[in-house]
Amino acid sequence: MIAPLKNNIWRSACWLIVFLLITPVVVMVLASFSSSSDLFSHLWQTVLPDYITNTLVLGVLVVFLSLIFGTLSAAFIVHTNVLGKNFLRWLLLLPLAMPAYLVAYLYTDLFDYAGPVQRALRSWFNWQSPSDYWFFDIRTLPGASIVISLVLFPYVYMLTRTALEQQDQNLLRAGRLLGLSAKQSFLKVALPLARPAIAISASLVLMETLADFATVNYFAVNTLTTAIYDTWLGYGDLATANALASILMLIILFVVVGEQRARAGQNHQSNRPNQHIEIITLSFFQQLLISGFCWTLVLAGFLLPFALLVIMAVEYSSMAQLANLISPSLNSIEVSFYAATIATLFALLCSLYRRLSFDKWRILPSSLSGIGYAVPGTVLAMALLASFGPLDHFINDIARYLQLKEPGLVLSGTIFAVVFAFVVRFSAIANGTISSGIKQIPNSIDFAPASLGVGLGQMLKKVHLPILRPSIFVAWLLVFVESMKELSAVLLLRPFNFDTLSIQIYQLISDEMLEQGALSAILIVLLGLLPIIWLNRSKELS
Amino acid sequence: MVENELLSVKQLSVKLQNKVILLDTHLTLNFGDILGLVGPSGCGKTTLLNTIAGFNSPSTGELNIKRNNSSSTHLIVEEDVLTITPFKHVVPEHRNIGMIFQDYALFPHLSVEKNICFGINKLPKSEQKFRMTDLLNLLKLTGLEARFPHQLSGGQQQRVAIARALAPQPTLLLLDEPFSNIDARLRNELMLEMRQILKQLKMSAIFVTHNKDEVFTFADKIAVMHQGSILQIGRPADVCHSPNSWQVADFLQLGSWIPVKAINGQFQSAVGELPSTEDLFLKENMITYKGGPQKLQLLLKSQAIVYCEDGFEKNNVKVDNISITEHGFHYLLSSIDKDLSLSFEQLSFYSNCLFALGQKIAIKIKSHNYQVFNSYDDILG
Repeated sequence: MIAPLKNNIWRSACWLIVFLLITPVVVMVLASFSSSSDLFSHLWQTVLPDYITNTLVLGVLVVFLSLIFGTLSAAFIVHTNVLGKNFLRWLLLLPLAMPAYLVAYLYTDLFDYAGPVQRALRSWFNWQSPSDYWFFDIRTLPGASIVISLVLFPYVYMLTRTALEQQDQNLLRAGRLLGLSAKQSFLKVALPLARPAIAISASLVLMETLADFATVNYFAVNTLTTAIYDTWLGYGDLATANALASILMLIILFVVVGEQRARAGQNHQSNRPNQHIEIITLSFFQQLLISGFCWTLVLAGFLLPFALLVIMAVEYSSMAQLANLISPSLNSIEVSFYAATIATLFALLCSLYRRLSFDKWRILPSSLSGIGYAVPGTVLAMALLASFGPLDHFINDIARYLQLKEPGLVLSGTIFAVVFAFVVRFSAIANGTISSGIKQIPNSIDFAPASLGVGLGQMLKKVHLPILRPSIFVAWLLVFVESMKELSAVLLLRPFNFDTLSIQIYQLISDEMLEQGALSAILIVLLGLLPIIWLNRSKELS
Repeated sequence: MVENELLSVKQLSVKLQNKVILLDTHLTLNFGDILGLVGPSGCGKTTLLNTIAGFNSPSTGELNIKRNNSSSTHLIVEEDVLTITPFKHVVPEHRNIGMIFQDYALFPHLSVEKNICFGINKLPKSEQKFRMTDLLNLLKLTGLEARFPHQLSGGQQQRVAIARALAPQPTLLLLDEPFSNIDARLRNELMLEMRQILKQLKMSAIFVTHNKDEVFTFADKIAVMHQGSILQIGRPADVCHSPNSWQVADFLQLGSWIPVKAINGQFQSAVGELPSTEDLFLKENMITYKGGPQKLQLLLKSQAIVYCEDGFEKNNVKVDNISITEHGFHYLLSSIDKDLSLSFEQLSFYSNCLFALGQKIAIKIKSHNYQVFNSYDDILG
């Protein structure tokens, strides 16, 4: 058969995109080898082992907690008659919209010594000083783990729930007929079958955790991300920061490879959805316990922090605050708009190339360009600084040589770097959405237009793009929202005096003045809800 | 329960999501018999199977299942006969029933060996090994123990599913459309092979299908279902020979339908008057058409049609379609007489004579035990 797509420009464009997207990471790793500074060995002998330990402990704790929260709630929602099931189904997704650093700040406010909870306890029990009673300290490594897992567990919940719902129910029935009770059948059949989905979600959670900067920084828990940040902004040592970023990247790589190996060749989704799922009826006591568990997750991960934000906004908002919101909002929208548009375009090119050409390596551009998703924002920022810095110097040298006006830091010192970082980081999201849209187009459709005498261009315009329109829209929206929320990369890459919404919130949090930015925070959370609503809706429809 | 009976279903009704799926169903199955449940899709046959397996509860009626204690692998030994009513559910795992699902439902994360031993893992290792070796031999699966389901062909997957279901030595085996995923060419061979295995093990089984050829090859007894109830149950030959309603005859495609009129105790058709026979009106059918001329349908098999080649008879049918089969030429005939109340199309007729498309010929109907039904309007509707 002859491929519908044999266009050389298209092919070259795809490979160029991949090259652009992965080069910075390669440059960063190479640059880190040149790190011979004393600072690195000093760090290695002093704090670095602690930082690495903290990073790993944080990762393990968050994954552990998220797995407990996520798999249990998914199992309860799918396989029991837990109270309020229809609400909980989607309420359990909402914490995803809540940035962890916001929860961190709000809960610190709520639970620390001067907070309302401890104040109330003191007045009730007539305690005078901290030595009179014990109260947990949230600004610790376990505290950070709980806060982060409260907003990340929905990944586990969502993927596990989908896996459980799409399982071939006959497998569970077969288990029953072979002598297992409903509960045993769940444990011995359904859960092992859901393992690949659980593994994917755990690796997602781990990657997000390792990428977290703001939460751990706020809690003063030193991890690799905070070390990178401090080394670069505190000591101005780019090479060492690169080396730290490379270590973090290495850990991430282990996670990705481990996850891939864990689910090699395992795909147990049934192609017969909407089967009747047998429900385990709960006793009153179980009902109390289990619905209490699910509601606590929703409350702690979303409802409570959101309510606190709203209260803050109502108490403190003013016209001045609204005015302060405008410029960062516009900045956020500007960079997010560019990033979403470019990432969607790239994804469209690569996915169509993968589908329509018969080249041997056609899969690579679309899968390689997704690698950036695994790169933490802080690491990515270092990678871009490492590649764009020298490039800028080179451009200025040429300009000087040609006796032109020196353009300055056109790449590393403008929003170009920010947009570039967003595109690298979120291309995977756009790719995934558009690829799954393309998969739903039957293969024969690629050949039908040619049989009717219609060429490639007309075919794309009249057939593929119209069919893909919803996927393109969703891809754009998802990247846009993620870009609006992204913090750690912008923090390192932003041009001077360039504030985005997330930067504004972060700075207010650092200055313990979130009250001033409650409206921005609510805006970020509401934006974050959009893709969740969309995801939930498309799941229900399918 | 009668001694030889393994299963009896009495006045069973099942409602799912407030919709009546099964209504007043009666059924019995003897030890060692293979029963085929056949009927159009949506007639409730899978629901009946699931109710026997324990995945649905009856809303009225009763099921009695004898359990063969000696072979039960389950630790709980209750009474010899399980009685299931709307008020007394017995969970599937305590019924000692095996099931083979349409898509086999093999556990994709377990090897063939672990799949087969899944239901007997409480037995001592040596016993497990013994039973597995036995089944592997019986089902010609030796050498495939370590494979995973996705590494097997469709036929092999089916045999693993059979082995897995047989390992706990169930008293009854249920099969849901067991051959629907098998290549049409292999199907017959596989059915015969599987029937032999079940007979060899003296295994009682109920299987569901919508394919009439499968029931006739595979079953000792067939039950034809329609809209939630069983219309007729009996040996395949009996049902084939004397269907008790037009639905049964129509679903099993036991012949073609031509309209007839009853006038003065004689049947009139578009190809002439039917010669009289001794038992002209069979069984309960005659009760329904009593009294005056009315439109009736005659079930006509090809063997009962005679081609009048002498040329004395008036041509009364036209050849509309010709196909070639191993039984000679297969013609579809339509009546020339356009008396609307009696005209017919698509009368199936096998012959060794070659006719041309559109050729008009004369046929007549042999005297035989006519089977006349009066519900043809429903068929058309």
